[in-house]
Amino acid sequence: MNALRIFLRTCWFQYLAMFNWATPIGYVSYKLLLPISQILFMTELGTFATGRSNALYFALGNALQLTAINGIFGVISTVGNERQFGTLPILLASPANRLVTFVGRAFVHVLDGMAGVVVGLALATVMFGLDLSHANLGLLAACVMIISLSTAGLGLMFGSLSLIMRDVFFIANAAYYLLLVFCGINFPVDRLPVWAQVISDALPLTRGVQAAREAVAGGGLNQMASLLAGELAVGLVYAVIGYALFIWLENQARRGGLQEAY
Amino acid sequence: MKYLRVMLRAFEMSMKMRVINAFWYLSWLVFPLIFSVLGLILLSPSESSRSAYAILGGGLIAYWGMAYLEGGNNIQDERWSGTLEQLMGCPTPIAFVVIGKLASSLAVGILAFLPGIALAYFGFHQSLNHIDPIPFAVSFAVLTFSFFCTAMALAPVYTLWRWAFALTNGFEIGLYVICGFMFPITQLPGWLQVMASALAPSWATRSLYAATGQSYGHDYLLWWAISIALSCAYLFCGWLGFRLVDVRARVSGQLALA
Repeated sequence: MNALRIFLRTCWFQYLAMFNWATPIGYVSYKLLLPISQILFMTELGTFATGRSNALYFALGNALQLTAINGIFGVISTVGNERQFGTLPILLASPANRLVTFVGRAFVHVLDGMAGVVVGLALATVMFGLDLSHANLGLLAACVMIISLSTAGLGLMFGSLSLIMRDVFFIANAAYYLLLVFCGINFPVDRLPVWAQVISDALPLTRGVQAAREAVAGGGLNQMASLLAGELAVGLVYAVIGYALFIWLENQARRGGLQEAY
Repeated sequence: MKYLRVMLRAFEMSMKMRVINAFWYLSWLVFPLIFSVLGLILLSPSESSRSAYAILGGGLIAYWGMAYLEGGNNIQDERWSGTLEQLMGCPTPIAFVVIGKLASSLAVGILAFLPGIALAYFGFHQSLNHIDPIPFAVSFAVLTFSFFCTAMALAPVYTLWRWAFALTNGFEIGLYVICGFMFPITQLPGWLQVMASALAPSWATRSLYAATGQSYGHDYLLWWAISIALSCAYLFCGWLGFRLVDVRARVSGQLALA
């Protein structure tokens, strides 16, 4: 019980201390203005290209992709800001459990990311009349949770890389916007060239968004079980790679005194 | 002459510092490519003249980003670098330093159009088939002026009120919508079109796309006049803002607390 308490307190403090937007205005800006803007922009662009009848395709896809605000921007900054804020040497010198420290970076962002998708879906409903009356809401909720977990996995991996890179938000921005291209958010993945489809298959969101579209159409678990399992597996692979990187970079830094050399 | 020298030095230093800034590569290379890819994939199957929105749209987004991010944060960057006090202590008004830095941002911002044009040509076999050269060139100059004035107005705002940058950064994509960077604003709801009409870049963007054969009409003179008038209004607001920054720095000494 004590370990759980420490874990939860650690998660919360890491979220508050390392996440630049944990202020009321920053939160409103990035969790409300950005979602409204993104859904509006991509849906209007999509309808300009393909007609009003497809508006919901774009609105739903972008509402789901909003989880990457936390999974990518949030998690990367929570890991990478240790370097930016000058606290990395202190962290490396501490006896803290590394797995707890590492996983704790993503925990609150997964919850916050799910809340972001709920906001996005509400906006899509209000702005474009997204109809969830026939949706399998339980499965849609499961899709949202799994997407949040998988994008956080990718964020953890990039966050670890940011320990040896100067510009953490370079990675975050590039990764966030590339997901719009590769993950079936704004057009089906099969419209991409074959080499790009291979990248799509290796990214979080691709399968999760496809499953969520089926859940909104009222599909059952049988239709999307493999998609959800694949989405979860992709996220897990990234998280494991990220953790391995985190440990390896820490060891490298300890041996060479290179904590702030990059 | 003295002020011209200051602006040129600010321009030169800004260029040198940009080369080692990863965000610059993101701004002029990665962002336009991403948005052009999105636009080209979505717009390519429709009528070919619409692909102008994809070819130029990514560049416009990046060009705007350079103006508002780099230009708007010009004074803020000095504060973060610890050089604001020295600059404020100089006899040269800080606005001239900002003008030099902003001119450098806009000069290299033009590069942002190259990735989208190259990608469209080599990757999607699309190009700008119809361009009226003179209206296009004038529209581009008016657009640049509108970006310049907007950034000059934003620079003191970001410096005086830190929350202002968070708000505009969160609404960045919203500005792509109401400036009509990748689709015509005429398809937006009426209340958004009213918002768009108060923005100088939206009028200049309209004239730019009209010069590529989009069905906006040919009221170039009217659009340029509105855009320039609004830009001048922004410039006046910027001038007031710089006065306020000066007061906060020299009279009350509260700028560092902002």
